[in-house]
Amino acid sequence: MNLFGLAPLLLILPLIGVFFNTVVGRRLVAADAPSGEKWSGWFATAMSGSAFIVAVLIFFSLPTVDYHAQTVVLWDWFNMPSTDFHVQWAMYFDTLSATMLLVVTGVGSLIHIYAIGYMHGDKDFARFFTYLNLFLFFMLILVTGNSYLMLFVGWEGVGLCSFLLIGFWYDKPNGVGILNGDAARKAFVANRVGDFAMIMAMSLTFWVFKTLEFEGVIETALHMFEEGGKAAPISFGMFTAEFQVVLSAITVLFLIGATGKSAQIPLFIWLPDAMAGPTPVSALIHAATMVTSGIYLITRSNVLFEIVRETGFQMAGIISVPDLVAVVGACTAVYAGLIAFTQFDVKKVLAYSTVSQLGFMIAAVGMGAYVAGMFHLITHAFFKALLFMGSGSIIHGMEHGHHHLHDHGHGGHGDDHHDDHHDDHHEDDFDPQDMRTMGGLWKKMPVTFGVYVIGSLALAGIFPFAGFWSKDEILAHAQVNEFAIFSFINIMLTIGAFCTAFYMTRQIKMVFFGEPRHEAAVHASESNRLMTRPLVFLAVLSVFGGFLNTPNFSEPEGYGSDYASEEKYEESGDHSETEAILAAGGSKTTFTLALEHWLEHSIQSFELTEEGVVHMPHTPIVLQYNVAVTSSIIAIGAILIAWFLVFRGYPMKPEDDDPLQAAPVIGTVWAFFQGLPLDSLYMNGWVKRVFLPLGEISNLIDWDFWHNFVHERLIRDTFVTSADFFSKVLDPLGVDGAVNGVGKSLRNFANGLRSTQTGNVGNYALGLFLGVAAVIAYFVFAA
Amino acid sequence: MIESSSILTVLTFLPIFGVAVILLLKPFNSENDLNIKVVANLTAVATFILSLVVLAMYDSSFAGLQMKHELNWIPALGVKYFFAVDGLSILMVMLTTFIMPLAIASSWNAIETQVKQYYIFLLLLEAGMMGVFLAQDLFFFYIFWEFTLVPMYFLIGIWGGKERVYASIKFFLYTMAGSLLMLVAILYMGLNAGTFSVPELIANYDLYSSAQSWLFWGFAVAFAIKVPLFPFHSWLPDAHTQAPTAGSIVLAGVLLKMGTYGFTRFNLPLFPEASAEAAPLMATLAIIGIIYGAILSFAQTDVKKLVAYSSISHLGFVMLGIFSLNEIGIQGAILQGVNHGLSTGALFFIVGIVYEQRHTRELSEFGGLWRAMPMYAVLSLVVTLSSMGLPGLNGFVGEFSILLGSIGGQTLGASPWIYTAFATTGVILAAIYLLKMYQGMFMGPLDNPKNQSLRDLNGGELAIMLSFLLFIVWIGIAPSGFFTMIDASVADLVTHMQPAIDAVVAANGG
Repeated sequence: MNLFGLAPLLLILPLIGVFFNTVVGRRLVAADAPSGEKWSGWFATAMSGSAFIVAVLIFFSLPTVDYHAQTVVLWDWFNMPSTDFHVQWAMYFDTLSATMLLVVTGVGSLIHIYAIGYMHGDKDFARFFTYLNLFLFFMLILVTGNSYLMLFVGWEGVGLCSFLLIGFWYDKPNGVGILNGDAARKAFVANRVGDFAMIMAMSLTFWVFKTLEFEGVIETALHMFEEGGKAAPISFGMFTAEFQVVLSAITVLFLIGATGKSAQIPLFIWLPDAMAGPTPVSALIHAATMVTSGIYLITRSNVLFEIVRETGFQMAGIISVPDLVAVVGACTAVYAGLIAFTQFDVKKVLAYSTVSQLGFMIAAVGMGAYVAGMFHLITHAFFKALLFMGSGSIIHGMEHGHHHLHDHGHGGHGDDHHDDHHDDHHEDDFDPQDMRTMGGLWKKMPVTFGVYVIGSLALAGIFPFAGFWSKDEILAHAQVNEFAIFSFINIMLTIGAFCTAFYMTRQIKMVFFGEPRHEAAVHASESNRLMTRPLVFLAVLSVFGGFLNTPNFSEPEGYGSDYASEEKYEESGDHSETEAILAAGGSKTTFTLALEHWLEHSIQSFELTEEGVVHMPHTPIVLQYNVAVTSSIIAIGAILIAWFLVFRGYPMKPEDDDPLQAAPVIGTVWAFFQGLPLDSLYMNGWVKRVFLPLGEISNLIDWDFWHNFVHERLIRDTFVTSADFFSKVLDPLGVDGAVNGVGKSLRNFANGLRSTQTGNVGNYALGLFLGVAAVIAYFVFAA
Repeated sequence: MIESSSILTVLTFLPIFGVAVILLLKPFNSENDLNIKVVANLTAVATFILSLVVLAMYDSSFAGLQMKHELNWIPALGVKYFFAVDGLSILMVMLTTFIMPLAIASSWNAIETQVKQYYIFLLLLEAGMMGVFLAQDLFFFYIFWEFTLVPMYFLIGIWGGKERVYASIKFFLYTMAGSLLMLVAILYMGLNAGTFSVPELIANYDLYSSAQSWLFWGFAVAFAIKVPLFPFHSWLPDAHTQAPTAGSIVLAGVLLKMGTYGFTRFNLPLFPEASAEAAPLMATLAIIGIIYGAILSFAQTDVKKLVAYSSISHLGFVMLGIFSLNEIGIQGAILQGVNHGLSTGALFFIVGIVYEQRHTRELSEFGGLWRAMPMYAVLSLVVTLSSMGLPGLNGFVGEFSILLGSIGGQTLGASPWIYTAFATTGVILAAIYLLKMYQGMFMGPLDNPKNQSLRDLNGGELAIMLSFLLFIVWIGIAPSGFFTMIDASVADLVTHMQPAIDAVVAANGG
């Protein structure tokens, strides 16, 4: 069954959706909202769903071609025949991209369905689905591109969609729309900083490897490493450097790119603001798919990162690139985790939580645990999409309650009050996202409550939910490694895990338990089935998703469990026995490590020996009981502490402080993290303090100095004065010759020009004329 | 090929034919000058169609000049009437014939006074620009080069904004003064070698090579002013803000490209060693232009001025590509010239549409236009993104090729990546100033009552926008056809320069 010919459909289908909603859907919704919304929403969903079916077919086609990567060429993109610069539009399918495909289209389709319910009544309903399909289109380009350049198309494209969707409600009244626009702009610019690094990385990659295709780059990299070792000279133009230095530069630039897209320190500042977008967007783009691009990029480039690890090259003699990746991830995991429990906005908690979880994944890929990173990416897509959509359901319920409150005087609530519920709920400063106004919602919204708890348990890493397995695999990697840096990462990630359990418990307690703290919470009601059904589905995935890659519970015979055994593998010389066991193990234990075996066709493991690069079998980590037990104890401990510590007094009003703020140590930490002006760092910091003044200064230099002073005052006026002098003083004195001749001819010229003007502009013209000639003469002779 | 020998002459002077027809129309003048408009539009479209014929006859695998039309003009001086086209100019010719009908069509309702003269000047301008891109004799070229100033001077001076006279004189004098040294250089070379024909001069390199360092600057200053390269840009904001919409479209779309074209056509092949030596300086000025132009652009509150300054930034990329002196950079630069013409031409058109209705260009006057003019907003977004260099649209194709070329820059020293790194910040800055513009115009609430009754695009405007967008997308997703057209000539140029480049590299101890 080889169905790769269907691949172009993955891109065509979402595009059809985009065109449908731009041209037809918009008009249908405008003509008749209820039926138009059905057409618009379900058409977009059908496109997304069909893409999912194609993805499944491709997934099942891969085994039939022996898991060999398949390339489907669409057409030439860049082609300069006289150079090596040749890039195609081509789709690349291996087990890694197939995995991403399933996540993107699968979770994406569920979110489409949910959004039909969530966006109901919005006047820009069709525009929303246009963007969702456009996003899907670019995300699919990102994960199926066969070259870095094509990946970059998707990379920027999803950034654009993110911009459009964050700024979706760009014209909300009371300045909210402007803030939304600011948030959108900030996200785009922060991502552009990462893109700067991507462009530099790709430029270097091209000159080093003479190609931008993944396969070519990886092959050439291994070859160069094998031939010349880490110090192989690289040269192009007048540039020369060692292989390890250039490769470190490339990989560190990829890391910077990833920190932009995947919201890591220092570029994560855009993600919390991105919550200004509609909640389905937060679930799809800012939790499940787009923000994981950085992890995908690094996993895709795993060979480059592993070569850098092998060379042992340390930047500035301090740290190697893969270690830096791990450290950045681990620090982000803790930092964002700490910020998360100072937040009161139900979505902001989840936003920082996402940053923190992305930190876990980045740390994993930095440690070389690519499969673990991907595993966490998948499970996180399940439970974080679930939590975001759950929070959307809560917000919806609260808005409903608030409307009920408002319309109480004149006859209940219904769909007719729904029409512009997104636009006018700011009339009395009621914030439906503030957790301090909630409380006791479990009775009002039982389904949402149920799935939310499941999602939280999965996120917190409680056995046997999905998050437990994936997070544990990452922690286990940090545990079993001998490198010193890994213990640091291990400690950081463990703290991160504690934070996770803590802030989720705090959130659940504030939202669902206790007494309602606002009238809106009293009247909140469960969301409709279009919204809750995808939630239930994701809840199921959050429970069972961990079985995608359950570890071996004990070490199979002859099976490596840690890095030390790789040496044994090498020493033994005869690999056939081990490989036989591996093969047998692979087929025998189909239940365990499914993802590991699936991805090992895409993620190479190798080592440089005297005979050159030797490809290694994957050595997955068996279940580390100590890690599992420790992390479970920590998570449960965090839940218990949070449960008994947080909000025993249940603040009644939005202005009330969290009791934790008064606690001795925690209070200080709290104040520190809440005091960080992270959200306004860009608009109020960078833009106001740096960029606006810079613009003012440049304007001063260019306009007031260069344009007005140099050109007008110095050059023009000098000439006009001297021309006056010549004509009024020297001319009457009878000075002839050169001066007179030149003056006359210029005068005639000026008179010619004067036909369209009045006054002394002619003098000005003359002045400028000679002045510029003088400037130019200066530049020529000075040069 | 006898037919081909005169087709470029026909192409160049076809717009003049249109001018003649308009002059003859006088007795039949209708009240609203409809016939003049029709003739002008038809002439521009006919020129475009004829240029398609040229394109069809063009052999992209042949590196040298083709479709030559070569006659002796002033035998005593060795001046020739010499038209020909090759990979360096074919895209510029097509850009000119493509932009002109759009610029002329965009004036349909915008120009109400002295209609006849207006269209005459636009058509004269087209003929002049065509001559600049096709003339292969320096003397002949210079005539066209100076000739283009006249119609542009009147277009700005008569149909421009409040300070049009000031701006037009500044434009005229600034660019003409810059050309004087080029004239001296041209005369020096021509009289020394006894010929002004560019191919013959290249063949007689020895006759003037000793003077090439000042000859290079004689040409370079003229072209740098036209580009404009920092610090010669001071005329640009005035000219752009005062010019009528069509004037700005042509100015940004084609006229500035005459400068970058001049570098590739004359400076590089005529003075290879001087070019290689000047590359670091030129690249540095280009990068200053990229960053400086972008920051200035951000500081503007007048939308048109914002777009004008962005040209300085964008043209900086083109200059960087040219002076990376390798195939990728130069090809990227040529294509980016086309891209800038399309994107910025379209941006000026966009500004013109809203200016026509509101008679203001202050950013603070707008906001929320998306709600009032959704179609206009969406198409503007695509153009803005193209200018910003979003991959999949044309801007990225040129920009990335240029950056790629610059990192392999042949004479940019041992760390060419430093140039690339600084230039790449332009990508971030472009997002900052263009999104500022976009957000300011289209996002936010539609709370200014004057904006609430704005009409969306009409049929004609939509057609013009879609014409721009066709190529914005086409070049974005399938540029290889465009690269193929210029590849052979650029490869030939680089091969021609290679010995000089190697000599300079060796002299600098590389």
